[in-house]
Amino acid sequence: MRNGWDDEQLLGALREAIRARRAVPSWFVEMGKNAYAWHNIDAELAQLTYDSQAETKEPAFMRSEAASIRALTFTSARLSLELEVGENSLIGQVIPPQAGTLETHTKAGLTTSRVDESGYFAVEPIPASPFRLRFQTAGGVDVVTGWITL
Amino acid sequence: MRDDPTVVSLVTRAAASDQGAWDEIVDRYAPLVWSICTGFRLSTHDVEDVAQNVWLLLVGQLGTLREPAALPGWLATTTRRECLRVVTAARRSERLGTELDEAAQFVADTVVDEEILAAERNAALRAAFAELPPRCQELLSMLLSDPPRSYGTISTTLDIPIGSIGPQRARCLERMRKSSALLGLTEVGVNFPGGDPGA
Repeated sequence: MRNGWDDEQLLGALREAIRARRAVPSWFVEMGKNAYAWHNIDAELAQLTYDSQAETKEPAFMRSEAASIRALTFTSARLSLELEVGENSLIGQVIPPQAGTLETHTKAGLTTSRVDESGYFAVEPIPASPFRLRFQTAGGVDVVTGWITL
Repeated sequence: MRDDPTVVSLVTRAAASDQGAWDEIVDRYAPLVWSICTGFRLSTHDVEDVAQNVWLLLVGQLGTLREPAALPGWLATTTRRECLRVVTAARRSERLGTELDEAAQFVADTVVDEEILAAERNAALRAAFAELPPRCQELLSMLLSDPPRSYGTISTTLDIPIGSIGPQRARCLERMRKSSALLGLTEVGVNFPGGDPGA
């Protein structure tokens, strides 16, 4: 038995291999293939480390007005991007504060906003989901978030 | 498969801006990433979040992967870590203690080695199948269809005598067994799941 598999075992293993492939939804595979668009873009990935919506499980009537604003934090090795989702805009701050540019990438393309010396920025209107933000400075900082769905 | 030349070549080509090689990497290993996510019982939204990050991390590290051949292990570890991040965030919101997180970590560690082996085995089997002549692929597909086709149906559809289905099936499987994809697999001792394949 050259390969350790008799015919029945090989057929069974092949059935399982094909089943495992078919179990994967096509959108999942497409998403993986599309990630290649970011090849050779030398940006550091900032991960979602806080999402106020994931934290608040109490009923709506117990929430204060302020708590209903969704807050998100993305963290990379060298900086964080703090975001607040307002009614019509997305406002945020780069921590530690520094000036630069902020690109908002959506499936439709990208727009650019200015980040001031205090690290503050605003994106108007709120971009269509999913989107991702890329922050760059003249000093060579280049950080991009994962895809964000609001 | 530490010395799998296919994986090394795919990683090298993808690092050199070959979208086709990247697509093949995703086709081969999406089932691995998917099955780990499924094991964590994540919501669709969380699965998207995890998978986006896993593939983006890989895109960013294509040129610097220290051992391209160890890609399946890297993918499994990264997916597991991303799943744990999502699960831990959810746990924190439910105010459960760290013991649960440690338990999740333990489960993830033990499950993942089997996942890697199964993913490598499955990728090799699919590659071996894809290398078969079309006639063999048709025959094996019909034999594997669910519910299984009768020999009568197979005979009519593929226009071969019922009596030669058995021998052709054996020849096709032997071809698969001799393919480089499967020979490479057995050399490194990735075996039939839980079994004693020589028995």
